Amino acid sequence: MTSTLEHSESGTAPANRPNLVAVGTIVWLSSELMFFAALFAMYFTARSVQGPKVWLESTGMLNIPFSTLNTTVLVLSSVTCQFGVFAAERFQLRRTGSALDFRKWGMTEWFALTFLMGAFFVGGQIFEYANLVSEGLSFSTNAYSSVFYLTTGFHGLHVTGGLVAFLILLARTFKARRFGHSQATSAIVVSYYWHFVDIVWIGLFATIYLIK
Amino acid sequence: MKFAWKLFLGITVFYGALTVVYAMLAHEVVGITALALSTGLSLIIGYYFWFTDRRLGAQPQDRLQAEIHEGAGELGFFSPGSWWPLPVAGSTIVVGLGLILGWWLTMIGVGLLLITVIGFTMEYSRPGHGPH
Repeated sequence: MTSTLEHSESGTAPANRPNLVAVGTIVWLSSELMFFAALFAMYFTARSVQGPKVWLESTGMLNIPFSTLNTTVLVLSSVTCQFGVFAAERFQLRRTGSALDFRKWGMTEWFALTFLMGAFFVGGQIFEYANLVSEGLSFSTNAYSSVFYLTTGFHGLHVTGGLVAFLILLARTFKARRFGHSQATSAIVVSYYWHFVDIVWIGLFATIYLIK
Repeated sequence: MKFAWKLFLGITVFYGALTVVYAMLAHEVVGITALALSTGLSLIIGYYFWFTDRRLGAQPQDRLQAEIHEGAGELGFFSPGSWWPLPVAGSTIVVGLGLILGWWLTMIGVGLLLITVIGFTMEYSRPGHGPH
């Protein structure tokens, strides 16, 4: 039992072969992309079947400045997430300086900031939904509102899943006796997922809010 | 990894060319979306394999003269057996049933799913609960 315990802590793979956890995550993310491909296809189909009139009526209700702010926060959270990965790659779990000195932050501080920014994004989405519903654009108003809520809602669920992943990751590193390769691998694959969700949002934002 | 990234980036080029041809001939968005994102699908895997290959250098599988034993060694950590996937799957069923029967059941299911996912991911992080 001791040997297997050491196994689980010493790391997922030696440095000279591809990390199976990371490869698996990448393959899974590429299949996630096809899930979003279906959502995009649904959006475009509904648009071409309904004609431009329904779209013109409904897209005027979108609050573009607010969603731009929300998008900016999500994109910046990818940057903070990457700084967390850099910290994880040098096996630095906690900060070495004061809490405000972000140059000395460890993975925990960067990921906590990323979590807060992601939570801000989800909160902003809920705020936006509440405003739209109060203005009369609910899930079943018309074809536009249905595809709008489905595409952005599924993305929001993915962001929420990412937030849960960050919490589990932080809990795991907190429990681990030593911050090693296996912890760093978890940090890296969660960051892959986070970047992916971020890129999908840029595509969705461009489609729904900018091109309309 | 050389063959792997060449294969996937080759598929990327194929899908990319197909997307352009389809866009010019069909004037229909669903197929363009599907083909463009299929390009993305193979690009993600191909780029990752290319990146990994550059980072790791030549692997035994890249050489025709390589021996089986050169690929020996630790592959990674695999759970020797776990009951946790079962409750995770069960909670997913509850979430899905809730979509048919009523939102109250979905809410319960989401709670169950969170608990079971935490159990699943934390199984080997609890002190003294290593694999047996």
